[in-house]
Amino acid sequence: MSSKTTSQDLFHDKKTGFFIYLFVEAIMFSTLFATYIIYTPPQVGPHPSELFELKTTILASIFLLSSSGTLLIAEKGLNDRNMKLIMAGIGLTFLLGAAFMYFELDEFRKFIMEGHVISTNNFLSSYYVLVGLHASHVTFGLGWMIVLFIQGKVLPFNLFKEKHKIFNYYWHFVDIIWVIILLVVYAPYLM
Amino acid sequence: MEFTFNGNLIIIPSDVIAGWISAIIALPIALYWITKKYYWPLVWDYATSTNHRKVGTLYILFSMLFFFRAGVDALLMRTQLISPENQFWVFQGEKFNELFTTHGTMMIFFVATPILIGLMNVAVPLQIGANDLAFPFLNLIGFYLFLTGGTIFFLAFFFNAAPNMGWTAYAPLSTDSFTVGPNNNFYIFGLQVSGLGTIFAAINMMATIIRLRAPGLKLTRMPLFPWATLITSFLILIAFPVLAIALLLLQFDRLYGATFFLGELGHPVYWQHLFWIFGHPEVYIIALPAFGIFSDIISNFSRKNVFGYTSMVAALALIGLLGLMVWAHHMFTVGLGPFSDTFFAVASMLIAIPTGIKVFNWLFTMRRGVISIKAPMLFALGFIPTFVMGGVTGVMLSSAAADMQFHDSYFVVAHFHYVIVGSTILASFAAIYYWYPIMTGMKLDDKLGKWHFWLFLIGFHMTFFLQHLAGLNGMPRRVYDYTYDDGIWAYNFISSIGAYLMGFSMLFFLWNIVKTHRKNKQVENDPWNGRTLEWSIPSPPPEHPFEKMPIIERRDMFWWAKINNKQIPTTENHRATPISTPTIQPMFLSAGLFILSFGFIYGWLWMQILGGIMSLGTFIIRAFNDERKSVYEKEERENE
Ligand code: HEM
Ligand SMILES: [Cu+2]
Repeated sequence: MSSKTTSQDLFHDKKTGFFIYLFVEAIMFSTLFATYIIYTPPQVGPHPSELFELKTTILASIFLLSSSGTLLIAEKGLNDRNMKLIMAGIGLTFLLGAAFMYFELDEFRKFIMEGHVISTNNFLSSYYVLVGLHASHVTFGLGWMIVLFIQGKVLPFNLFKEKHKIFNYYWHFVDIIWVIILLVVYAPYLM
Repeated sequence: MEFTFNGNLIIIPSDVIAGWISAIIALPIALYWITKKYYWPLVWDYATSTNHRKVGTLYILFSMLFFFRAGVDALLMRTQLISPENQFWVFQGEKFNELFTTHGTMMIFFVATPILIGLMNVAVPLQIGANDLAFPFLNLIGFYLFLTGGTIFFLAFFFNAAPNMGWTAYAPLSTDSFTVGPNNNFYIFGLQVSGLGTIFAAINMMATIIRLRAPGLKLTRMPLFPWATLITSFLILIAFPVLAIALLLLQFDRLYGATFFLGELGHPVYWQHLFWIFGHPEVYIIALPAFGIFSDIISNFSRKNVFGYTSMVAALALIGLLGLMVWAHHMFTVGLGPFSDTFFAVASMLIAIPTGIKVFNWLFTMRRGVISIKAPMLFALGFIPTFVMGGVTGVMLSSAAADMQFHDSYFVVAHFHYVIVGSTILASFAAIYYWYPIMTGMKLDDKLGKWHFWLFLIGFHMTFFLQHLAGLNGMPRRVYDYTYDDGIWAYNFISSIGAYLMGFSMLFFLWNIVKTHRKNKQVENDPWNGRTLEWSIPSPPPEHPFEKMPIIERRDMFWWAKINNKQIPTTENHRATPISTPTIQPMFLSAGLFILSFGFIYGWLWMQILGGIMSLGTFIIRAFNDERKSVYEKEERENE
């Protein structure tokens, strides 16, 4: 077995596996989108157009979507084996992701303070489960980036590169889900 | 038994007490026995090894244990139903609901599904000339998730909280307005945890088959069991995520006051859609691998290659595809309307065509073959007529108008047992006899195997054939009682006797295993004179059997090499082998998920937090303990 290719072979295996995993996630989110569409707008209780705010939605989106851009910086560093660039990319992405989470949690907090909770009606239940699952994905991603920071220092570069690439796929995927959330959850009720 | 605790009156039924007593007696005996025989190192080896053969063996072992547990449930049910107006022990009313729920759920999720995954683990990598699955670590994680989910579900009984809403968990019965208490939370978390494991297993199988095949082993040359595995994995990847979300929504209904499936706002029928979008493909998830197993076994024991290979593959794919589209045939009676009913009825009937093709191909494979009737082949021979009968009643049920009559009667019970036992269970037995040399290096006794087969098959038809008639005579399913006037006494009586006979046949299987291991006689290589690659290596195989990968030039390459007295050419320079080292991380993860689940089941926040931290902690431990680290370091040094 020629040792030159070990990391390449195993990385391709992992990439295949992770893409299949993302397919699984896509099915899960689709089921939640279907649930949301079925139960929205609700027959009773608050209507989505009374709750959603254009400003929060747009700000949150700007932060999250640009974080996919800053991640490209890290990806470039990965190919050039430039650790500084990588760390800068991850750092920026982390900050943008955290800013997104700030608006997200602020929205949840506001709804809950106004008394719009999971049990209020089925629109809100589906909203919390769907958007909440996405938010927990972002949170998980934030934690993952902290881990990546440390991994960059302690793992052999090829292994780090592999883990970083996998994270990149994850983060882009989470961003795509957000775009669909924008289109399905928010857009129809913001106009 | 009744007593007061903290001022509450607590009533514990005698069957639960009996369960505790037998556990308290059996557990120390088992531990003593392991200690006395110095088996702890062996146990530890299996518990931490990520080698596909060992993980597969564990899957099979624990599925068999759950099979015995779910089988006892079945026998208890049959005892309660043996005569009209019977009052057997405590199993009436609510207790009977618990019986059929735990029986059905365990059989589907903790027996049929994992045992097939175990067999895939044992055989698929070897059949495609790979040294291991693509992700050995993930593989062990998957196994532990199955074991943890199964244990959570299993323990419910000991806390006198067995789920009681049927394995389909129909809303609104499954919501906390109708079934209070922790019982059905056990169902949610047992299935959620093990379902995740099933998804991981499917990802692993798919990546393995896509990436790790031996050079030259094109998909068109692959044996049929790996083919079935590939298509099954695809079905799992669609069905199980839907189940996961359905369970999540149900969890929100039960624990956090949402009303997805309940009340004026929710739709109980939405649960049925989600459940059957999972549930119907699940039927094929446990049937297609069985087809694959039978194809390999029938061809092996007939000394012929599979008749109509291409049509066999096409039929597998077609069945899988149609299987995804017909879920609403379980819902004819909820009133979806004539258009929908017609569509789903026709689509369901279409499945009979590829299935028929497969049956005829099996028969043609045997035609003019040199058939040797060993235990595995016997099970395959028993499968064909049994499964055909199940298929015929399936077509009957798929006619929407007729289903209005059959629905929720014993006719349905008879139908699905013909299908599931006929395919999955017979295939699992066949495969265990067939691949036992790979798992252990020993061969099970053929004579005892034949006893097992005949008693099981006769018992099976005695049990379930008459249930068609009981159903047609109006016996509804999920009832614990009937009267003399119903005219179904004889059917039920014979049915119960048949069930005991099946239970009895399992003793031959157990005895066979004990006897084989007592004798401990190692087999020679290629014990069945096989055709596929798993027989080209020693049994049991070493951890990396294909140090040099075989180059495959045709279907049934090993067989061709054997009869032409040729060597299979090999290559020095092949792709990297997955890296596999023993690990205790999956144990830690399962402990975390176990605690987490109990936190949710009983609503204890501190336990949820503790379990959550432990489970997430595994990710961090894993992030810095990657088994590939040293290999990558070495590679980097060499490539400097
Ligand atoms: C081996 C002997 C078996 C016997 C004697 C047996 C017997 C029974 C009985 C008496 C019921 C209850 C029917 C009712 O009241 O509706 C039942 C239900 C069921 N069985 Fe079995 N069974 C056996 C094997 C299996 C196997 C191997 C599987 C699947 C792998 C299976 C899956 C189910 C399911 C899914 C249900 C429906 C449970 C429900 O209604 O929620 N059974 N069985
Ligand atoms: Cu079905």
